Amino acid sequence: MLKKRITLLMLVTLLAGAILSACGGAPAGGGKTTITVWDYYGEATPVKPLIEGFQQENPDIEIKYEALDWDTTLEKLNVVLSGGTPPDVVTVDMTWIPKFASLGAFSDLKPLSGSQLNGVPWDQAYTPGALEAITFNDQIIAALYDFDVYALYYRADLFEQKGIQVPTNWDELLAAAQQLAESDKYLYEFDADTFHGSQWIYENGGTLLNADNTEAAFNSAEAVQAIEFNKSLLDAGVAINWTTDQGERIQGVKDGRVAMFSDGPYYMGIMKSAAPEMTGMWRVAVHPYSKGPGSYLGGTGLAIPSGAKHQEAAWKFVEYAMRVENQIGVYTYAGAAPALKAALESPDVNVADPYFGNQQAFAVFLEATNTAHHFPYVRVWSDIDEIFTNAMQEIALGQKTVQQALDDAATSVNEALSQ
Amino acid sequence: MTNTFIMRAAREIRKHHLAYLFIAVPVVSSIVFLLIPMLTSLWWSFNDYSGLQPAKFIGLQNYIKLLTDDTIFLHALRNTTLFVLMGMSIGPTLGLITAIMLNQNIRLRTIFRTAYFLPVMTSMVVVATVWMMLYNQNGLFNTVLTNLGLGTVGWLSDPKWTLVSIVLASIWQGFGFETVVYLAALQDIPKELYEAAMIDGASAWQRFWTVTLPGLRSVVLFVYVYGIIGSYQVFDQVFVMTSGGPVYSSTSIVYYLYTRFQNLRLGYSSAIAYILFVILVLFSYLQMRLSRERE
Repeated sequence: MLKKRITLLMLVTLLAGAILSACGGAPAGGGKTTITVWDYYGEATPVKPLIEGFQQENPDIEIKYEALDWDTTLEKLNVVLSGGTPPDVVTVDMTWIPKFASLGAFSDLKPLSGSQLNGVPWDQAYTPGALEAITFNDQIIAALYDFDVYALYYRADLFEQKGIQVPTNWDELLAAAQQLAESDKYLYEFDADTFHGSQWIYENGGTLLNADNTEAAFNSAEAVQAIEFNKSLLDAGVAINWTTDQGERIQGVKDGRVAMFSDGPYYMGIMKSAAPEMTGMWRVAVHPYSKGPGSYLGGTGLAIPSGAKHQEAAWKFVEYAMRVENQIGVYTYAGAAPALKAALESPDVNVADPYFGNQQAFAVFLEATNTAHHFPYVRVWSDIDEIFTNAMQEIALGQKTVQQALDDAATSVNEALSQ
Repeated sequence: MTNTFIMRAAREIRKHHLAYLFIAVPVVSSIVFLLIPMLTSLWWSFNDYSGLQPAKFIGLQNYIKLLTDDTIFLHALRNTTLFVLMGMSIGPTLGLITAIMLNQNIRLRTIFRTAYFLPVMTSMVVVATVWMMLYNQNGLFNTVLTNLGLGTVGWLSDPKWTLVSIVLASIWQGFGFETVVYLAALQDIPKELYEAAMIDGASAWQRFWTVTLPGLRSVVLFVYVYGIIGSYQVFDQVFVMTSGGPVYSSTSIVYYLYTRFQNLRLGYSSAIAYILFVILVLFSYLQMRLSRERE
């Protein structure tokens, strides 16, 4: 039974954690502190290369580095935060923040940092949007390490070949998609999820929840109109509903099924490593909008669980990782977007990118952060995400009208919010 | 009285201390790793508990909500039952047919026996990943269907098909186990019975009905009950192939439990686990009753 497996896993982690922390906590000889770092970046991680330099500067701090993947990190966090020894530093997806932060799982970095990040006040280190994303109940619950915001990726070679202008609004997007599509090739990628669904809603002046996060707002007139437009791309046969049986998303990029899609800067790194043969074919642009640009804002944060044993040492490591020269590693190692303002302005990041036809692609994403919104910070966010995603699937499959699906989802969300 | 009991127990332990030491290992580990977690989980099922904040006792509310108000759970219950029905109506029969074929004196018999059992030894995650490729929009199945002029099927994206797709992959992975069990039982049926039946002039069909099937009775019961209990816990293939979707069309009980756990509803997921537990206890009881009746 999975339940048994989970409880067992919890117990084992608990025991293992107790043993490990007992070993780490004991001041061995020279009073060495061992901190555990969980990193979900994977192969192209910018975190692991930091360890050597950090330990040279801090010989009294030992780092126990654990490479996990995204899913495992989330799973293990769920387990250790609810009954075990958490790591001292952990990479967290900003979409996890609402759930964990509202339960008080992460330490406030303000007092730990003395309100400064490497000598720079927090509000000057980050753009306003980024700062808002890491702030919860007046606390700073993570140091934003890389940011994620969506923009339009498009096949510039096809646009040129067919004489299509880069679309800036929805009407132009539909027209461009119609010119581009050749039966089941060169389509716009439709993704039935909250990241993409919310983008359309923001672009039409809507929001996911009302201003004080007490009720669903994704069934408002603007929001319904936005999703109806999104759906009309599918109905017109110029978009492809990217379901699991389409395969890996990068496959569609490579084989020409997809010629336009919306995604974050991290995807540039994926394209470069998985589709090097497409060098020069793609560009990025602000995603077309109807009333104003909009996107979800997320990324990776470095958080210190409130149950972590070595808060001070953990903060030292976080601060080290947030130094400008180390932040640039987010770009050079992972191809993702560093979150620190100073790193974003650095010439090392703002280079003409040959993969994107010498475009300065980062500038596009940086601009998008100005109008992006982080997901609402409510305890039941993961439920809301699930309910909304389900509604998007119903819409994509044509099981319900947009209005019906979003109204039903709003009822469920309101019920969850009232608990 | 208590005193004499303790004294007697102490004497008993002293006499057979080595034996009790050996028993202690499994007993202690079952208590620590099985009994305590299960009881903890039972307690949680009566609480609103996130794991991060103190548990709040709410009585039977989790159970009431699950069984009356949670459409996703009822959907998952229905999906899982359908999964069990579909799987159990095909898998064991397929296993029996293969076992009978493999029990003949055919060429390369050992190779076939190994081949049928190979998927059983393969991790379900691996099997599910391979089948996902087969089910791909441009995968093998759709290519064959297209070449036959039948169009493509959204194996993992059309809610009408997702559960069927998962059932097919699961049967393929699992029926080798039933084959091996049946095969062992077939070899236990005394040859003399067949010889006697042949002397009486029974046809092959009659021999199957009057000798083979009765000889397999206890094994048939085992295969079905074991299969039902296993199938009710379906998780891996759902997790890998569909994540329960689209629109909950392939969400199973355990997968739903898992998502509630991910959303840090530890009390609620414990209640789901105990509802599943009751279902499984019912089937186990049924097996015990039926096997006792036979004796």
